[in-house]
Amino acid sequence: MPRSRRFFNAPNRRELLLPYLLVAPALAVLLALSIYPLLYSITISLQQETASGIVWTLAHFKRLLTDNFFRTAMVHTFVYAVAALTCEFLIGLVLALLLNQQIRGRGLFRASLLVPMMLPTVVVGVVWRLLLNPNFGAINGTLKQLGVNTEGLTWTASPRLAFVAVVAVDVWQWTPFVFLVLLAGLQAIPQEPYEAALIDGSSRWQTFRHVTLPLLKPAILIVLLLRTMDLLRVFDQIFILTEGGPGFATEMISLYIYRTAFRFSDFGYAAAMSFVLLAVTNFVSVVYLKLLQDEKRDF
Amino acid sequence: MRKGIFKTGLLVLALLAALTPVYWMITISLKIEVDQFAYPPKWFWFTPTLRHYYDAFVTRSFGHYLLTSAIVAVVSTACALVIGTLAAYALTRFRLPYNLDRKLSLWILSTRMFPAIVTAVPLFLMMRDLRLLNTKASLIVVYTAFNLPFVVWMMRGFFAEVPRDLEEAALVDGDSRLGALVRVVLPLVSPGLAATAVFCLIVSWNEFLFALVLTQTDAAMTLPVGIAGRVTQYEIKWGVMSAAGAVAMIPILIFALAMQRYLVRGLSLGAVKG
Repeated sequence: MPRSRRFFNAPNRRELLLPYLLVAPALAVLLALSIYPLLYSITISLQQETASGIVWTLAHFKRLLTDNFFRTAMVHTFVYAVAALTCEFLIGLVLALLLNQQIRGRGLFRASLLVPMMLPTVVVGVVWRLLLNPNFGAINGTLKQLGVNTEGLTWTASPRLAFVAVVAVDVWQWTPFVFLVLLAGLQAIPQEPYEAALIDGSSRWQTFRHVTLPLLKPAILIVLLLRTMDLLRVFDQIFILTEGGPGFATEMISLYIYRTAFRFSDFGYAAAMSFVLLAVTNFVSVVYLKLLQDEKRDF
Repeated sequence: MRKGIFKTGLLVLALLAALTPVYWMITISLKIEVDQFAYPPKWFWFTPTLRHYYDAFVTRSFGHYLLTSAIVAVVSTACALVIGTLAAYALTRFRLPYNLDRKLSLWILSTRMFPAIVTAVPLFLMMRDLRLLNTKASLIVVYTAFNLPFVVWMMRGFFAEVPRDLEEAALVDGDSRLGALVRVVLPLVSPGLAATAVFCLIVSWNEFLFALVLTQTDAAMTLPVGIAGRVTQYEIKWGVMSAAGAVAMIPILIFALAMQRYLVRGLSLGAVKG
């Protein structure tokens, strides 16, 4: 079969440059809007305005160590992330295991489950403010109809219930996603190992523990990674639902950074805190990716 | 048989849990005040009214926010799609020295992992210095950068699924690389391209934090920021709020249903091919 010469000859200069030309715009945009802001942020976190002008200092980072609000916001964020992640994972896994087979009306089912996770987070906030309103919200109204005393259930006005509420909202919105990813993972598992387990006479629990779980691990790690990242940076729903209140009860690290920067105009300190958040999310993602890589090597 | 009933029950329960809260908001948007505050809650039987929709989008400025949201979402999606697709094509089809193609891809992905608030603070200061606060341009630029890693990763996956032979045939026929991309490869990945576009539209349409930080005036306020501004005020017009919320979710739902096949893949940045 005759082939054109350019296929066999060394590519000309233009061909060699082409990939770089194609990647250049993307790199330029990301350098200008992701990397440069990061560097800019480092400089402002290391500067302070004083009477004699701008000085370089570590003061913002020192302040992190003694700021109780910062520490509380970090603790809230971790508790929130762990609580929501656990609920989402367990509910999602159980649903996926129970429904891992042909479902009638599958398209409709999946489409309906998509609704919560596609909603604008601001709308999620509005939806739950309407539901949780102590006076006319549907939740207290329904509970009252069922004979429950709702007087103490002030939801976003009570510190403890407000925290439960913000966790519940995330569980409501994102469990469908965990479920769909795990279901996709389950359906990608071939039949043979199950048949082998059946022949060996394994119990259902043994089959789950030694066949399903190991084969599902990559999907589990990916979905946990994505959810953890989102949970650690949570902002929108809580901003709408409780604004971090009552008091400081649902204040998360992103909200505290936002307030420091845009309410108190303390950009240097906000930048310093944001690096702690960045370091934490980086660390978490590295751990997950490491686990995921080990997983791939086993195959 | 009993197992079947249990499963159906579980399905119905999951559907109700997912949809009831949203349904409640929609009823609020259609109720007159008396019905909104009624006890016991009125789930089905109330006199519907469109007054809140009129109030929100004609009397108040929500119509304007809606338009801003649409412009920002469409333009930023178009930019991210063009820039990102070119980069993705280069990163799947060319072997760069020093494993650069792989390293660049991972680096691009890592920029997406930054928590938004980390870049929001410096971006606010940069936009202030450039006098771009409260402009649609600032949001378009920021959303383009925000969606870019996503486009690159999604399109990398789709390009990788196209056999190289097809382009090579086009190259043999005397097409240029870019000609082969436009005439041969892009038509083949067009479903993926459409899914990616819809995804970017949804993300830009829903985005809140950057919009909140970069726009404070009616000139460039998007729908989420408009809604948030009213919600956190002391006296809340629940009907207007719900009407705005209901309208904000309509395009999203249509889009999401249209491309539900790719949704899990998109939400996991291409990692899960569900």
